[in-house]
Amino acid sequence: MDSFFQQYWSDLTSLFSNSQQRLYWGYLVCAIIIAALYSLKKQPKQLKASISNALGLPHWLSRSARADYQLIIINKAIYLLCNPILIGKLSIATLIFELMHQWLGQRPVESDIPSWIIISAFTAFIFIFDDFARFYTHKLMHQIPWLWEFHKTHHSATTLTPLTVLRTHPVEGLLFAIRSAFVQGISIGVFVFLFADKVDLYTVLKVNVLVFIFNVAGANLRHSHISIRYYRAIENIFISPAQHHIHHSTAPRHFNKNYGAILAIWDKCFNCHCYSEDKPLSFGLSKNQNGNEQSLQKLYLAAFVNSYKIIKAQLGGCPRKD
Amino acid sequence: MKLNKLMTAVAIATLSTTVLTANAASNYADFPITVKDYAGDKKSSISYGGQIARHVLHTSLMKLSKTGNGAANPELLAQMQAYFSGKETGRAILSPASQEGFTIAQTNVDELSKGKNLAGKTYKGAVAGWPGNKTGVEVLEFLIEKAASSDAGFDYINGMDYPQLISKFAMGAIFYNQAVDNYLDEKLAADVKPNDKPYKDGAPYTGKEHVWDEAFGYFGAPINAAGLDANEAYSIAKGKKEIFAKADLNANGKIDLDTEMLYAHAYYAAGADKAGKSNYLNEITQAFVDGRQIITDAKGEKLSDDQRSQLLAKADFIKTNWELVIAEAAFKYAGSVYSDALKLQAGVEENTDVKADFKKYIHHWGELKGFSMALQTGGKDLGEFSVKLNRLIGFSPVLLGNTQVTGLDDKGNYVQSSSISLNEFALHMLKVQKALADRYPLKARLNDQSEKLAALAEKLGSGKSTEND
Ligand SMILES: [Zn+2]
Repeated sequence: MDSFFQQYWSDLTSLFSNSQQRLYWGYLVCAIIIAALYSLKKQPKQLKASISNALGLPHWLSRSARADYQLIIINKAIYLLCNPILIGKLSIATLIFELMHQWLGQRPVESDIPSWIIISAFTAFIFIFDDFARFYTHKLMHQIPWLWEFHKTHHSATTLTPLTVLRTHPVEGLLFAIRSAFVQGISIGVFVFLFADKVDLYTVLKVNVLVFIFNVAGANLRHSHISIRYYRAIENIFISPAQHHIHHSTAPRHFNKNYGAILAIWDKCFNCHCYSEDKPLSFGLSKNQNGNEQSLQKLYLAAFVNSYKIIKAQLGGCPRKD
Repeated sequence: MKLNKLMTAVAIATLSTTVLTANAASNYADFPITVKDYAGDKKSSISYGGQIARHVLHTSLMKLSKTGNGAANPELLAQMQAYFSGKETGRAILSPASQEGFTIAQTNVDELSKGKNLAGKTYKGAVAGWPGNKTGVEVLEFLIEKAASSDAGFDYINGMDYPQLISKFAMGAIFYNQAVDNYLDEKLAADVKPNDKPYKDGAPYTGKEHVWDEAFGYFGAPINAAGLDANEAYSIAKGKKEIFAKADLNANGKIDLDTEMLYAHAYYAAGADKAGKSNYLNEITQAFVDGRQIITDAKGEKLSDDQRSQLLAKADFIKTNWELVIAEAAFKYAGSVYSDALKLQAGVEENTDVKADFKKYIHHWGELKGFSMALQTGGKDLGEFSVKLNRLIGFSPVLLGNTQVTGLDDKGNYVQSSSISLNEFALHMLKVQKALADRYPLKARLNDQSEKLAALAEKLGSGKSTEND
């Protein structure tokens, strides 16, 4: 039991101390600086006001933000308990690696390709593959009714702070972990099969260099009150914080837009891309806030009840034919 | 001021203890005679000449097994049998032999011990890893017969490298089996070979002293191996002249085979340790030295319960790590066979000359097979693990026509049947590595084919998996 609490505490603190986490203090500092500069540009010569606007203290105390904190604290314990039952990426990588032997009939033994090319290719591949997998699962979370019930926990946030990135129903969290295991396992298995010991990852602070750039470039502003917009040409390629705010908007015309995590190209391909707008937005499931929407009971249990009803209705809707 | 002095004294004391502990490695030598009322003129109670004689019988037998001319050769067969099961005097030590700048003191087996053979000490249990339902002795007899008519040790039709098969299996079926299943096992029981009596009448050593010495002898380490660097140990076994001065411990200008040479699993322990991730040679030898000290400290009396349990703990450590040394070697060669099989398959598909690659492949398979069979001679039932190992490795490597030896006919000839592809056989080797790594806490893991998978999985971390976008 002691070791459980030790592990729990270290998991919780590593959210801010581990550079592999989005909420790493260094990335948060970057986000604040970017937000302050952006505010300063909008209201020149008002440094103090800009910094205070960037910090946005009132947002951190809102009912919605407090629900974020509760979810994070409870979810960490749930994930810690569920950890051992998850299939690991190493098992998937090993399986893929072995299957490749059977599918391809031959493994290229030695390649003349310089390592830097292989390492760059692996670094880019896993970045793009992972981003696509995030986009696609996110799209499914919105489009499949019973999955949407679980994703609603995230979308019920009415104020966005960087910590909202972890406002997730545990079932959705487990789906994400499985997604991640498949993405990483497949990438590792395929690349090691093809390029053996030459495969590696370019990293900064133990993070894929491309993800690191994303994190340093204000990733945490995607969930914040600062709506940074990019030029349209850039918003075609990268999702701006303001574009993600559109994803959280309560305006019906914004529903089911901008599923992308880092790259906007997937939304372009699947016709769900939307440029940012220079208008204030409200966040949440709908304009009319339900009184108990931020209660733990609602955030955790409603999804089970509703998805059960949906699945039952679907099964009942098509009678069995024998 | 007083406090300062005190601190200095404490610091010096701590420092000197550290230095002492760091140099704790001591030689397996100079253990005095503790037998009560010993009347002879010996000064030391150490004796394991019989074991060293068997080591050189083994190395000489391996040397002979490489000399076949491809036809039936009764003369060579008789010579090999003399080293395996004969007891006659006058057998020359064919290996290790003197090289330029590396003179060996003994040239005749009798100089180490007279009347010894290997067959008498070979594992008598059934060997599941070899066709024909044979005992350990019968397997070695069979391999020796085949080797005598081989082409310099090789049978290219059935994919056999006899020197490797003989040597790697013999090390297990003789040295490892004798040590872990006999001397470090039942012979350590309280009522067997007690410490308050000489091993036999007039002997300068007690029962327990000699039992322990014999186990150490079978390990095959020089007396200073507890503090010997793995690379240096390796050079000694290879007879490198650069290491001669350091290897010649008593500075008599010659390497004494009974105290200054490395054999069998001690050599493979050094082979694993060279990678710098393990320390089998030093640790196993140190456990032997410590155990011997426990026995010596009993001063010729029966071991107390406490002494015996300390000794058994040392024996357990030795047995466990000795097994790991063999598993490490099997792991390493499974990795080699994996690469060889893929290379061979590529060569076959590109129609290039694969003769040299094929030879390397069956050589490495012979090592793997020998070590994997050795692993199963420790006297404990490995259950389905050994079934798995034997099935994956097969009775021969997969041959170029995708066939494999599956048994023996009534005349003892190999029977081949169609089998899997080289590529699938390579996959078997990955599974062999996995099975070994799952069962044993391996440290060196040489030629690890899945290492990169695990390293990348680790490197990618798991931080961002729960982020919601
Ligand atoms: Zn969403």
